[in-house]
Amino acid sequence: MINGLVVTHGEFGVELVSVVEMIMGPVPGLTGRSNNGKSVSELADEIKELISSNDDCDTILFIDDFGGSCANAAQLAGAAGSSTRILTGVNLAMLLDFVTWRESMPIDELPRRLVEKGRQAITAMGPVQEG
Amino acid sequence: MSLILARIDDRLIHGQVTVGWSRILQPDQIVLCNDTIAADSWQSRIYKSAVPPEIEVSILDKESTADFLNNLPLEHKTILLVENPEDMFDLVRRGVKIDEVNAGGMHHSNNKYEMFEYVYVNRADIAYLRRILNSGITINAQSVPGVKVHTIDMLALDAIESTMP
Repeated sequence: MINGLVVTHGEFGVELVSVVEMIMGPVPGLTGRSNNGKSVSELADEIKELISSNDDCDTILFIDDFGGSCANAAQLAGAAGSSTRILTGVNLAMLLDFVTWRESMPIDELPRRLVEKGRQAITAMGPVQEG
Repeated sequence: MSLILARIDDRLIHGQVTVGWSRILQPDQIVLCNDTIAADSWQSRIYKSAVPPEIEVSILDKESTADFLNNLPLEHKTILLVENPEDMFDLVRRGVKIDEVNAGGMHHSNNKYEMFEYVYVNRADIAYLRRILNSGITINAQSVPGVKVHTIDMLALDAIESTMP
């Protein structure tokens, strides 16, 4: 089982987690955190603590924006390690797939799948044809 | 027939069904029973496009749904979706064998009263839910797997009706 930690600007990540649970039911081990009112080092400390509080479990960090303060904090927390991965550009499809596969796929393989699924969900929808 | 979920949900095919329930129940197919959508190939296509490719989907009117379900192979795990209690009772009346109905989404609209966050009813809904109960079927309210299940029995229906003007 792999834990998930969604760290974003504002309440985006917290709300994403609540939408995932609205769709899939309760998801233990999936947590949302905001950067509101926190310095990068404070956020990094918080991430470190959250990761170490479940140190018998691997963790994937989901960040909203590559190069933003949340991504920087994740790097500062040393989260890109052997039992932890950082993914940026978090979206709903990525998280739904994470919940579906986190029990059966190892941390070495799951991140690549999630990046792929997250990308696939970004589309420019055409109209559905009549007839 | 292997009906693994018979659900009343006015959003019909959406994430709670295609992701939430399907992850747990692993259905072979989804049957969406709705006269309006079945008669409209454009709407049918939109709903069909929302189902993952590994799950078959049939969109049928009530009459065809009853025939279809009554002739299903036993091993075919099926989720049945209808929009409201009236349509579910109609299938019961046509002889579809259902042990339990899942009230998964009956959202707020004018003159409907709240039983649970995702279940609102008016007097007509209550009447059809009573007829379903009277057919020996259990009704449970549950939006997605893992959340609290609320049983909707005669007492619960009497209680909500007594709050209506």
